[in-house]
Amino acid sequence: MEGAVLAVPAIGFNAVYAVLRFANFAVASIATIGAFAGWTANTALGWPIVPSLIAAFAVAGVAGVVADEAALRPLRSSGALTTTIASVALGIILENAVRFVFGNDPRGFDLAVHRDWRGFGLHAGPQQVQDAIAAIVAMAALFCFLAFTRAGKTMRAVADNPMLASLKGIDAVRIGRIANFVGLGLAGFGGMLVALDTQVDPLTGFRVLLSIFAAAVVGGLGSVPGAVMGAFLIGIGEEMSLLVLPATYRGAVGFLAILLMLSFRPAGLLGQRAS
Amino acid sequence: MVITRRTALAVGLAAPFIRFARAADEPLRIGALCPLTGAGGQYGPSMVKVIQAAADEINQAGGIGGRQIAVTVADTQTNPDAGVAGAHKLIDVDRVSAVVGTWASAVTTAVAPLCWEAKVMLFTVSGADSITKLPHQGYIIRTQPNTRLQMTRATQFLIDNKAKRVFALAAQTPFAVDSYTRISEVMKAGGGEAIGQIIYDPKQTSFRSEIDRALGEKPDTLFLNAYAPDLAVLLRELYQAGYDGHRLTPGYAATPTVLSSLQPELTSGLWSFAPSPDLDSPAYATVRKILGTQNPDPYSCQVYDHVNMIALAVAKSGQTTGMAIHDSIRKVSQGSGREVHGATEGMKLLAAGTGVNYSGASGPCDFTPEGDIISCKFRFDEVEGGQPKLLSLS
Amino acid sequence: MTAYLASLMVFAGINVLLALGLNVVWGLGGMINLGLAGFFALGAYASALLSLRLGWPIPLACLAAVGIAAALGTVLAAVTARLKGDYLALVTLGFAQVIQLIAANERWLSNGTDGISGVPGPWRSVLSPMQFDLLCMALCWGLVVVCWAALTRLALSPFARVLRAMREDEMVAAVAGKRVLWFKIRAFALGTGVSGLAGSVYVHFNGYIAPDSLDVLLTLNVVLALTLGGTGRMAGAVIGALLLEALTEGSRFMGDVVPALSPVQVASLREAVIGGVLILVLRLRPQGLLPEASRPMNLEPNR
Repeated sequence: MEGAVLAVPAIGFNAVYAVLRFANFAVASIATIGAFAGWTANTALGWPIVPSLIAAFAVAGVAGVVADEAALRPLRSSGALTTTIASVALGIILENAVRFVFGNDPRGFDLAVHRDWRGFGLHAGPQQVQDAIAAIVAMAALFCFLAFTRAGKTMRAVADNPMLASLKGIDAVRIGRIANFVGLGLAGFGGMLVALDTQVDPLTGFRVLLSIFAAAVVGGLGSVPGAVMGAFLIGIGEEMSLLVLPATYRGAVGFLAILLMLSFRPAGLLGQRAS
Repeated sequence: MVITRRTALAVGLAAPFIRFARAADEPLRIGALCPLTGAGGQYGPSMVKVIQAAADEINQAGGIGGRQIAVTVADTQTNPDAGVAGAHKLIDVDRVSAVVGTWASAVTTAVAPLCWEAKVMLFTVSGADSITKLPHQGYIIRTQPNTRLQMTRATQFLIDNKAKRVFALAAQTPFAVDSYTRISEVMKAGGGEAIGQIIYDPKQTSFRSEIDRALGEKPDTLFLNAYAPDLAVLLRELYQAGYDGHRLTPGYAATPTVLSSLQPELTSGLWSFAPSPDLDSPAYATVRKILGTQNPDPYSCQVYDHVNMIALAVAKSGQTTGMAIHDSIRKVSQGSGREVHGATEGMKLLAAGTGVNYSGASGPCDFTPEGDIISCKFRFDEVEGGQPKLLSLS
Repeated sequence: MTAYLASLMVFAGINVLLALGLNVVWGLGGMINLGLAGFFALGAYASALLSLRLGWPIPLACLAAVGIAAALGTVLAAVTARLKGDYLALVTLGFAQVIQLIAANERWLSNGTDGISGVPGPWRSVLSPMQFDLLCMALCWGLVVVCWAALTRLALSPFARVLRAMREDEMVAAVAGKRVLWFKIRAFALGTGVSGLAGSVYVHFNGYIAPDSLDVLLTLNVVLALTLGGTGRMAGAVIGALLLEALTEGSRFMGDVVPALSPVQVASLREAVIGGVLILVLRLRPQGLLPEASRPMNLEPNR
């Protein structure tokens, strides 16, 4: 279950990496922004879940593009590491913007609470199942976007071979913006899914940051299907770690996974780029 | 200071000062170190309001022999790190003689060494047993019943309500382990059993694995030793997990905000326990008036007593230092003097040479040599339709 | 007020130490270490536990703290030997998070989220608060001067030249016969040791340490300090840290200027300002105020 939810922001992160070639640490705060957007739609406007999720996607996508244009794009010529450091700073700014408006207290969604379904010694919450379905739908939508739309195919072209793409006259800046909107929008969507499962507060995204990175790295930085695979592996890994480690160490699983993967197979399971 | 955001915040509360330094004498400086935000954020603002009102009341009646009381406020954020930063500022910069109102046991434990090393009196509303066992040389006074007393009464309530198998889910605090030890002792003596405890990190946003393990032991009662934010999550997830047994939680966790933010079916039947203020005391009536409510929380009642006792101790000793308060506090809070319910009333008697025994909004305010109160009343409530209903008070 | 300024100077000194430590690893060696907070924590907790629970004298606890931080820095360097750029950033950041997790959960060791309080300070119980603050300021800056002098000398040594060469192009350095891994490890150990020292100074001054003290913001502050001052030169680290301290203290009064804001809002504004300044500096003067004399500093190893 958790793997599906984690996959969405991981895909977003990898999509951005594929096209723009840097690790965007602000993805956590964008996820938080998405969560708050969805929460506002749900509690202040009274929207049900699905429109709220779409609101989360849209607001996060726009916020991501604007933030990138303002803070990160001018730095991209200075290199990936500079941009990454700037994205850490950007993440802090965005998180605090959310905190400024909403404060630190956790909020809950205006949704009915259900008892878990039980069977065969297991139990699953209807909410979790819903989240998983939403995640799968989002991934399917992305796949269609990348495979069948012009913008999506152009994105893939730029990701695969930026030199050739620019030779063919593809506008790198425009594609970058599309990649940001889609990728960071997904991060926001994923952020709301995480919040549905836990709670909405300024640190919602930050708490899953390490797991998102782990999923992205394990699957292969820049690979969208890799991110899905990585997310499921990390999700399973974290659940299984409960057998050996206390529940609070789940974050360490992500760290270990990153370390192992980068040391032995930096390209990840499905990635093509080795550096 | 740049190290942490919390450190920076607590020290940054430089703006809201209240100084009444009109008298030629040095004012009596008191620091209000309360949780204005964080898990205890429900109580901090009203505690500060009461502290300031109590000081105002005394100042307007002429102060302490002409000396005014000056209150400085700092936010602990219910976080020991910020609490320590706030204490540093109050002690080093504002030169307070007493720190009043630390709420979370972890904050009090962190702040206490700063106070006793600087010979500043610490008046706290925290309950953990370990606090008064620290080597504080008499510089800690607490008006909250300690964990041992609380758990004894709470567990007795459970036994009276036919609980047989109690499992505890506790937030990580200085009193988690001591609480469970006492619960086990009392359950055993009462013919039941404490079947286990899981301590969790209150910052987690989900407790499903902990709940699964707890319910696997088949308890008939869960003791939720939580703070407000984690209680909300626990109640929701317990409902989702299909738990229908009894639940008991401390009153400071089942705040009105928590109860109103959850659907009624999640909180229906929830038991809570809390030390009760002295409902008949004139001091209690004063606190009611200050806060404008019929049911002031126990902490606001306690800090009212703190300020009044400090004033009396200073009046008795003639000096404003922390050490002076330390030496005189029990001469005014207990003993054979005449019973008084306010500092102004008591100071008149002291000036006339009569001894006083302060008895306040929170109770008789008589302290052991370690700084604990000797006894107090408790109330037990059950939540129905999102509102707590009083079950018993004794 | 003097006591307040003195304590400010102590925290400034601690930040300078952290900046110096990062400069060895990043400025000289070109290896980004975003796990600073973790080594700071190691130094602080080690010093606290040794002096409080085992009764070691403070200077000894301090030395041990430095040693422990350096030892773990060695391990981290060995394990991340082949990583570069943002990969290294990711892993080192993860390392700091794991340290924070351990500090929050291993109650038997670290007292969990309650933190460790009552840590002894040099003569804390016999001095007045003001005297104690002044003494700590003197001791702290004494250490800063010593480290600064030592590291400046180091920056002129053959060891540093090799590091710089590796920073520019690892392949060439390896071909020239230098055992790259061994140099990396030593640079890391040195840098993390100094970070551990900063942690030790902090805990003996503050008397308290908790997992919450270890924030991502701490690391970001130090990165900002180095970016401001210019990586590579030790003087740059010092100037950057002091400038940053001034910026942070100045922004504290933001709360006074706009009284309508709540404490939470003031705090979030201040943090956002720090992030904003970092981005601005990266845009406008990425080489910092005191760039390395030899070439304009940029953050990427390239030629």
